[in-house]
Parts: sequence; C-alpha cells; structure tokens
Amino acid sequence: MNLEDEIRSALRPKEPSPEFTERVLARVYGMPVRPAPRPWVRWVAALAACILLASGAMGYRQYRGERAKAQVLLAFRIAGGKLNKAQKKVQMLNAARRNNS
Amino acid sequence: MPERASSRPGEWEFASLVRQHQAMVFSVAWHFLRDRALAEELSQEVFLALHQHLGTLESPEHVLFWLRKVTTHRALDVARRRQRRPMVSLEDAPEPVAVTPAGDPMLGAALRKLIAALPAKARMVVVLRYQEDLDPTEIAAILGIPIGTVKSQLQRALTLLRGKLTRLGEVDL
Repeated sequence: MNLEDEIRSALRPKEPSPEFTERVLARVYGMPVRPAPRPWVRWVAALAACILLASGAMGYRQYRGERAKAQVLLAFRIAGGKLNKAQKKVQMLNAARRNNS
Repeated sequence: MPERASSRPGEWEFASLVRQHQAMVFSVAWHFLRDRALAEELSQEVFLALHQHLGTLESPEHVLFWLRKVTTHRALDVARRRQRRPMVSLEDAPEPVAVTPAGDPMLGAALRKLIAALPAKARMVVVLRYQEDLDPTEIAAILGIPIGTVKSQLQRALTLLRGKLTRLGEVDL
C-alpha cells in the first residue's frame, strides 16, 4: 500500500450539486433559478414536437390538394365557358345558313 | 505565449467555464473545509469573482491558475474565520475506528479525517499536491510561499499521516 496513492484516492475530485452551474449563472446574470428539467420532460417535449411536425405536414398536404382541386375546377369552368361560346357561334352560323337557303 | 482572449466571453462561454472547472473549485474547497454547504457557497463566490475578472485573464491556463489561487486563498480565509471553533491538532484528532487495506473506502474516510486535522496551510498543500497533482513549485506560486516551505510542510504532513495510520491499524505504509 502506497500512502501517496491512498491520499490521491481519498482526495478524488467531487462534483458539486447538480444545480450548481444554474445557481452561479443566476447570481451572475440575475436569472431566476430554474430547476433541472426531469428526463421525462425532454421525451414529452420531443414527442410533442414530432406530433406537431407530422400534423403540420399533413395539413400542408391537404391544403395543396385542395388548391390543386380548386385550380382544376377553375380550368374546367373556363374551358366550359369557352365551349359554350363556340357552340352558340356554331348554332348561329347554322341558323344563318338555313335562312339563306 | 498563449493567445490573448479577444473579448470578454459571453454568457455561454462563462457557463462552459463554470462547468469545466466547478469540480476542481468545489473539491479544493470541500477537501479543505469538509463542509459541503460552505464549500458550495465558497465555490459560487469564486465564480462570481471570476466573472468580474475575466477581462484580465489572458488564457485558459491563466484562468485555471487564477481559480486555484482564489479558491485556496478564500478557503484559507474561511478557515481563519472559523478559528473561534477550536481546531483539533493532528495529534489530538479522534482516531478512526479501523484501518483497512488499500483502496477501501474506510481507509479513504480515515485519511480524509486525518487530513482535515492538519494545520490549515499544510492541509492546503496536501490538497493541492494530491487532488490537483501539482508540484511544489506550482503550489508555492499559488499559495505565495517559498518552495522550501511547501516541501517541508508536505514532508511533515506525510510523516504525521503515515505515523498516525501505522499506529491505528499497524498498516505498512
């Protein structure tokens, strides 16, 4: 047994309490002392963030779908209007030809 | 020559300095004072002072030296103020119940008790030598005492501890 090694072992560095850093920063910057977050709080926060992201992505997909649908309907409406006009013109021409003959 | 800090570190850098050195500062105070609450209070004061002096510290090595110096001097001041509580000399210190083989926590506890009974300066020399692994020159610079004094105090402390432990458990040290 070596006395110096035994003293070294007896005087191993120790950590202060877990809130030590927070307390020092609170005193230096005048911040309120926050208790250290519990591990489950991080998991809940991560889960909430995932749910938020997933629902956001789904909402965005739905919004894009609705927008595409509205554009298709508008295109149909425009095309329908033009078709009606052309049909009326043809009918008028036919009627005029019949009258001439 | 170490690079000079360009500006006063911000909150994030200061927090990381605290995290980096808190075990050293707290342990020097705790092993010297043997009072956890007092050691934490003293350590907080040391870091508050560090925050005020950061602008004058030139490198990480300088910060470490400064922290060791301020911690040891403040701990010695606290010990001086506590002297109204009678100090027990090493010879009069209560002897631990038993001494057990190397690496045993009981031996560690016995040694800590015996170290706590050393005179303040000798105790600090032992803490800096064996907790911080500093050589006598570095200890002399931190405590501001001649290197010869550090060596003689260290030698005397080791002789006393060895004798006390040998008497206690007839351990061959």
